[in-house]
Amino acid sequence: MTKISRRTALGLFGASVVGSTALRFAPARAQDGGVIRFGGSLGMSGRYAETGLNIRHGYETAIKYLNEEMGGVEIGGKAYRFELGIVDDASDPARATTLIQRQVDEGVDFFLGSYGSNVVLPCAGITEAAGKIMVQVGASADQIFTQGYDYIFGLFPRASRAWVTSIELFKTIEPKPKSVSIIATNGAFSKLNAEAAAAGCKEIGIEVLDVLELPEQVTDASSALATIRSRTPDILITTTVDQNSLVIVRQMIATETNVPLLYQFLGPQLPAYRESLGAKATGVIMQLPWDASLDFSDPVFGDTESYISYYNETNKRPLSYHTVGASACITTYVEAMRAAGSIDPAAVRDALDAIDITTAFGPVKFTEDGDGDPILMGAKIGQVQDGKIKVIFPTDFKTGELVYPTPTWAQKG
Amino acid sequence: MDGTLFFQTLVDGLILGGIFSLSAVGFSLIFGVLGIVNLAHGIFVLLGAYLGLALKQTMGIDPLAAIPIVCAALFVLGALLQLTLVAGAVRRSSLMSSLLITFGASLILRDAVILVFGPDVQFLSSAWLVDTFHIGDVIVDGARATGLIASLLLLGLLSLALYHLKVGRAMRATAQQDFAAGLCGIDARRIYAVTFGISAAFAGASGIIIGLINPFSPFDDTYWTLNAFVTVVLGGVGSPVGALLGGLLLGEISTFSSQYVGSLYSNVFIFSALLLMLIVRPNGLLGNAYKGSV
Repeated sequence: MTKISRRTALGLFGASVVGSTALRFAPARAQDGGVIRFGGSLGMSGRYAETGLNIRHGYETAIKYLNEEMGGVEIGGKAYRFELGIVDDASDPARATTLIQRQVDEGVDFFLGSYGSNVVLPCAGITEAAGKIMVQVGASADQIFTQGYDYIFGLFPRASRAWVTSIELFKTIEPKPKSVSIIATNGAFSKLNAEAAAAGCKEIGIEVLDVLELPEQVTDASSALATIRSRTPDILITTTVDQNSLVIVRQMIATETNVPLLYQFLGPQLPAYRESLGAKATGVIMQLPWDASLDFSDPVFGDTESYISYYNETNKRPLSYHTVGASACITTYVEAMRAAGSIDPAAVRDALDAIDITTAFGPVKFTEDGDGDPILMGAKIGQVQDGKIKVIFPTDFKTGELVYPTPTWAQKG
Repeated sequence: MDGTLFFQTLVDGLILGGIFSLSAVGFSLIFGVLGIVNLAHGIFVLLGAYLGLALKQTMGIDPLAAIPIVCAALFVLGALLQLTLVAGAVRRSSLMSSLLITFGASLILRDAVILVFGPDVQFLSSAWLVDTFHIGDVIVDGARATGLIASLLLLGLLSLALYHLKVGRAMRATAQQDFAAGLCGIDARRIYAVTFGISAAFAGASGIIIGLINPFSPFDDTYWTLNAFVTVVLGGVGSPVGALLGGLLLGEISTFSSQYVGSLYSNVFIFSALLLMLIVRPNGLLGNAYKGSV
């Protein structure tokens, strides 16, 4: 038997006294819960790459902040760090579904969304069947929220409800617009929005002159614009994605296709759009899912202003509403996990169902079908004025007055 | 039928067709002289647009003024691609291997564009664009009209080169019968490289014109390759005039079907025309089969 020397015994005793005292006065530390991995795919290449990258930057910013600035998050007495397991789906639904299935098989419990309803919809079917949660900011087609899915959440109201604010705006315009024409492309998102816009306009007595459909990738809108010139509406609505919106508006300018009000659902929100058109962008109105002028408190970042500062300090890519929305997806997840006190998917799902918070993106509250509440999370309406976007509706958020009718292209200089 | 709308559609189709023609002529040349379907054609078109963008951003050169520089750069790139990759693959295997080589090259070049410029949508602008003008009640889009004028000028230059310069005659001779051309002292290997270079140069020039009209992103390349293919089948392989006719026909089919049937159905009409042409006149409008039409 090995004898313990007197010196060693004293040393051990001293160490145990110092150790126990140190432990008594050290701040309570939560048990290490490990790493929570967010899975999902995203179009970081392919036709949706621009928005895909915007979304990825939002995810990365939130994860970086949670890990590096907050040192992780305590959930149910355990400290967790976060990891982003997003892979490139090349904006291809077939590829996305394969990648998502693989992550489901690997045991990922929490998914973030891709971009584009045609990509998100089939992926949602896979995660739902596996009982995995998805929170996304890249798709709003009605089909995603009308399948009876329990585990799928979206920060945007479904497409058919996305026009509530816009129709309210149209009611307030003086002189009252009498007619509208709509240009859509051959895709679920664009067509659904066109249908919703047309239905809303009809409801308030605005005549729908034409709903013109273009191919999914627009390179020439001359025929649609010839129709617009022959029957000029008071409002022209385009429910097209960013690149297509730019093709249409540039061709409108070049062919002197003037309308009293041009409403482009997507496009004018991007700095590149306004930079491309310069003064010609003046007067174009759009939906504003988010605007930097609207400050909201945020449980992770503090508030919108602090979020913007942190984002700009840590990223070179310009901030877009998709980026803020992507960060809000992760904030929403974290708040739901905290509220559930657990990372059990069923408990987190229930907490998401009941969530009612504000984030840097704005309020977050889901309908029972999982899409964004159309009143709380409905888009504001903005108008380009002097190269900047002013919020013109609803009245509570106004930073500018609607200009209507807008000057012709020639008058805009 | 509304007369103004009809003439407006006709003019829009002509303008669109002119741009299709320029974007397809390079594809047509390579097919005519080398017998190769160049799947990197679309990315050459986009490289032209991106080089124009880089020259404007870094040196302030107007994109239209940058056309000669872009053509020169792409000529070198095209010729190098032919000499280093395509020629070797064809020599070791068959013409079919060129499909894989050019497809692979297009993927690599596309990723290179993404690395340098990012995947974002870009656009070009020029101070030299013609103002929009009216012919009666018909409106002519200035930017597109500029594109058409530039296309006609470049296609005219190519025709002159093919018929009046020594290298053009050598290209035509090689296209007709490469073995006989070789017996007459023409270095077919050099002519193939020059043809590939000229093709890439014209694709680049069309890229600048397309960039002035439409926003572009690195993922548009397949659209322009497919468009070139349809144009060439309609117009006939290997000749600038064939490309012009094919492009104009494609433009008119596209605008008339969009206007009078619906934009969603324009592809139905375009590919129906393609099928019809392959059945009725497989050599295209000009009637010359590949290898012999330049």
